[in-house]
Amino acid sequence: MAVQPPVGMANHPVVTIKLASTADELMQCYMLRAAVFMGEQACPYGEEFDGNDYTASHVIMYVDGEPAGSMRLRWFQSFCKFERCVVLRPFRGLGIHHEINAWCKEFARRKGYTKAYLHLQRRHMPMMEKEGFRRVDDRVFNFSDHEYYAVYCELEPVKGAVKLDTEPMVMNRPEDRMDALGILEKSAARGASNPHAPRPERRVN
Amino acid sequence: MNTIAQSIGGEAITTKLAMKMEDSLHAFAVRAACFIGELDMPYSEEFDGHDFGATHVIAYVGDEPVGTVRVRWFQSFAMPERLAVIQRFRGHNIGKMLLERCRKLAEGRGSNMLYIQALPGDVKYWEKQGWRRLVSEEASSGVKRIVAMVKAVDPSKPLPDVEAPESIVLGHEPQLDSTGLPRGTASN
Repeated sequence: MAVQPPVGMANHPVVTIKLASTADELMQCYMLRAAVFMGEQACPYGEEFDGNDYTASHVIMYVDGEPAGSMRLRWFQSFCKFERCVVLRPFRGLGIHHEINAWCKEFARRKGYTKAYLHLQRRHMPMMEKEGFRRVDDRVFNFSDHEYYAVYCELEPVKGAVKLDTEPMVMNRPEDRMDALGILEKSAARGASNPHAPRPERRVN
Repeated sequence: MNTIAQSIGGEAITTKLAMKMEDSLHAFAVRAACFIGELDMPYSEEFDGHDFGATHVIAYVGDEPVGTVRVRWFQSFAMPERLAVIQRFRGHNIGKMLLERCRKLAEGRGSNMLYIQALPGDVKYWEKQGWRRLVSEEASSGVKRIVAMVKAVDPSKPLPDVEAPESIVLGHEPQLDSTGLPRGTASN
């Protein structure tokens, strides 16, 4: 007999969100964007992949291990810009875009940002108002065949956000796992043997 | 390497082989648009682990990547698969151009047979394009998701009768999970 899930847990999807930190994860983000923007919204390749992908951070969201959603974040001095947010069609209606938005807000706060900014397709305004976004001004502009508003949201400053006085080795940790030891802290155990130097000048630990 | 065959709205349609990272992304993005975006294929089935052992052909309208096909190579045949053309560029024989490029490629490598796996509803179309079922209709039984079809690389040299079991190459290559499923699906 099949094991029954606990009451209330039936069909409950497991959502995982992380910073895309490998070539595979980045590829997943790109392909989800291609599926939604090129496949569903008829966006040309050159507009979707606009030259800013390699100056941004990408976030990937999985539902039960399957790539389901993605966001691109760009970092300016006074705000973090949320872009290219997608949830694949089979995963819509679960409300998981709230989860990736919340994750990205938290991520930006940990980096010290107090504002999130984005260009919102007009039709999505009610959805994002619920998330605390409001219009920057009255401008309506269009690109890639949609009308947009510029909207923003205040982010509560967080204790432990990265500042100049942050522990240098904390700053070096993977940015979405700043509470855990990073790979470079483990490397510190090897000491500073200065392997670049001519042999006699190297230090022996 | 580009072969100009025709144009859409004054923009030339060209095909080329993926040779750089960015070219591969063009091919992958077109497939994601068609298979994941339009047909709701899961990512892990679309990108099944065979992309880095295959040759990718891409079709462009001007600079815009609009179509792609992937060719896998076996000793006894070349296997075009994952043929995709972006919706609004369909109806211009771009798929045919891509397959012709595959045929020439196979010819250049000394291959004499092309093998595809077609959807049952598309079999009649492929038969009109000169493909034939690997296993005759009478011999095959039950409802099948795919139909194996073959075509000679050189149209003037018809294929000898191939006696091949239906299960030919349906097994996965060893770089996949031990379960035989594409990586990432086994845990679901």
